[in-house]
Amino acid sequence: MPDTRRITGPEETQSPFAFCPQFLAQSAEAFSDGKRRDGRKAEADHRPVFLKAGLISQAKGSAFAELDKTKVVCAVYGPHEVARREDFSMQGQISCEVKFAPFSCRVRRQHVQDGREKDLSTQLLEALEPAVRLDSFPKSQVDVFVTVLENDGSALSAAITCASLALADAGIEMYDLVVACTARIHGTSILVDPSFSEENLKTVSGEKPGGQVTLGFMPSLRQVSALCYHGDTDLDVLSQATQRCQDTCHKLYQVVQDTLVKSVEQRMNNS
Amino acid sequence: MAAPMVKVPGQRLARKDETTKPGTGTYEQNGFIYSSLAGCVQKETSSDGSVQISVITDVQQTVVPSVEAIVTARITNVTPRFCKCSILTVGKIPLKEPFRGMIRKEDVRATEKDKVETYKCFRPGDIVVARVLSLGDSQSYLLTTAENELGVVIATSEAGASLVPISWCKMQCPRTLAEEFRKVARVQQEFLQYTDT
Amino acid sequence: MVDVNLSEAEKTFIVHGIQDNFREDGRSNEEYRQMDLETGLMSNTSGSARLRLANTEILVGVKAELEEPKPEKPDVGRLEFFVDCSANAAPEFEGRGGEELATEMMNLLYRAYSASTVLDVSSLCLQSGKLCWVLYVDVLLLECGGNLFDAASIAVKAALFNTKIPSVKVRQEEGEETELEVSDDPYDVRRLDVSAAPTVLTLSKIGHNHIVDASQKEEACCLARLMMAVTASGSVTATVKEGRGSLDPDSITEMMQVGKRVGKAVNEKLLETLKEEEQKGLKRKTVGFLR
Repeated sequence: MPDTRRITGPEETQSPFAFCPQFLAQSAEAFSDGKRRDGRKAEADHRPVFLKAGLISQAKGSAFAELDKTKVVCAVYGPHEVARREDFSMQGQISCEVKFAPFSCRVRRQHVQDGREKDLSTQLLEALEPAVRLDSFPKSQVDVFVTVLENDGSALSAAITCASLALADAGIEMYDLVVACTARIHGTSILVDPSFSEENLKTVSGEKPGGQVTLGFMPSLRQVSALCYHGDTDLDVLSQATQRCQDTCHKLYQVVQDTLVKSVEQRMNNS
Repeated sequence: MAAPMVKVPGQRLARKDETTKPGTGTYEQNGFIYSSLAGCVQKETSSDGSVQISVITDVQQTVVPSVEAIVTARITNVTPRFCKCSILTVGKIPLKEPFRGMIRKEDVRATEKDKVETYKCFRPGDIVVARVLSLGDSQSYLLTTAENELGVVIATSEAGASLVPISWCKMQCPRTLAEEFRKVARVQQEFLQYTDT
Repeated sequence: MVDVNLSEAEKTFIVHGIQDNFREDGRSNEEYRQMDLETGLMSNTSGSARLRLANTEILVGVKAELEEPKPEKPDVGRLEFFVDCSANAAPEFEGRGGEELATEMMNLLYRAYSASTVLDVSSLCLQSGKLCWVLYVDVLLLECGGNLFDAASIAVKAALFNTKIPSVKVRQEEGEETELEVSDDPYDVRRLDVSAAPTVLTLSKIGHNHIVDASQKEEACCLARLMMAVTASGSVTATVKEGRGSLDPDSITEMMQVGKRVGKAVNEKLLETLKEEEQKGLKRKTVGFLR
């Protein structure tokens, strides 16, 4: 369907990056001078995280997460009547939508949700469902809308953490908060919280291509709510990477807890 | 006064035993009571010595019509068999988006259920106070007004003025003095004004 | 998935059976049901396969087309997956009803085949930046009997093994247009090397144990599933956790160990069967559909 609201430019457009060799050339080196590409020292270092709850006044609950350059915002609406009348169930439903802003990635994205975004929406739903008390809102639906404003790697884990913070801010009963973390397996190193250039590292010739694993974890109950991985590695490396993600999630939990407590106290002082 | 403790979902509050009971905003697992909301902890000691722990949040509570709750609704459709309405508040808490409800002909009043004429009990646009009978089906909740305190509270007459209740089945327009039939909710004592005759 | 209605007593019976490593139909927790596989059934495709796993029937067709490669990956061909849940399998799949399930299956297949070592896609490229082979893999679900993801991935691997890509000679003279010569000799074809291709293994968590190849009834009792794509050499190419329940980190490690072991065995057996079938050549007997 032709988009009449925007001036989309001629159909035969090409990305300028196709003509720029240094942008296309992906490095195979994860480390230079003993540091990672964005200046972090250790493999297990997570980027500095900034979280804030309760910023969108119209939504029931909202949150903003910033992992250095990756910025994600989430809004929660509901519970309200289920949109599709055939779905009658004594348990509530959650509907998730993840959308990348057109300006968020290096290459401009379409304003219509594409396959990758639908996949991320399904993964987000998988991560949140075990944590929410669905029988507290029977016959109703809660909408979770996530927008990625800037993607510099680990977009899915930022989205999961942001969404669970927004759900808690909205006053929806949950069993526990969900904290998520991504790890990139490259050769023999496990890079925690990869940036965009680390996610697209070229395979070192002769070695396995490695992969990327995202883990959604409920720290208080010690349960895994989401696990998604693609690539080509051995099982023991994968188990190691998952364990590393778990440890990072425990560290992140403290930050998430403090953010929530701060926002509750702020609300109490304002009222 | 000590600042109340703020807890987040998943944090352990106390161990579950005979004296401690979980309240709203909490859940029990493996013998411990955990918080399920982000809010302040409240401990209420009842008369028999047991303590009830609840977590209160000042965000408008997640409210969904539950069975036996009193709701306020606006009538949208009236047919000879039932009336469709739109639920506006649950108890005292207004809803951001209305839910759909239905009052069947036999649930309008407690006596002479089969002789009810719905057009003489409700009209579209009336505000009624009802009780939730059940969650109903996928389309609407089932409501009932078969009690003295339930029924129409606000209605507009055909002339456009606000109707005044005169009995359990009639309301009068103050402008034209015409009487209209409604199933009226009993007015609370404090709102009754007696004239001097 | 198509749901069956089970009473609480039936669910308890299934859970207890699994605890004792003795399932409803007599299998152990790590056994697969009987599988029937046939390849090369459809003449209009470059490769095809039909798999019957108890009550699940999947039909896969591969068509190879010549197209332009993607601008960010000019030297490689690609695979495009499409899953169609036919209304034959369940009435709720009519129209767009089966879309959710189909999207999940497609996403898993894309994820499993995303690594570059799985299939040699660079050999599918004929002219860098201009011409490459795109393999359209279409999966058709004819009957739903539980364990759809596993069956689909095994059928896809078999169809890719069966795929015959015609040889192409590219002639480009200076200043003139590229000339393509596609060979029409049915024996002048190229085959794909699927030895590193993965198959999906679904491990369903029921109670405190996990099972492989769940039937429909067992799927109704399961709260969480772990789907792993395992290759013949034992490496894992994709893992997805699915379901409303959450999993313990220790049980995930256990499940992955079991998955690797069983996955390797399935891959080896599959390659064996495919080679056997190919050797029989035209003398083999084909069985019909939905039998």
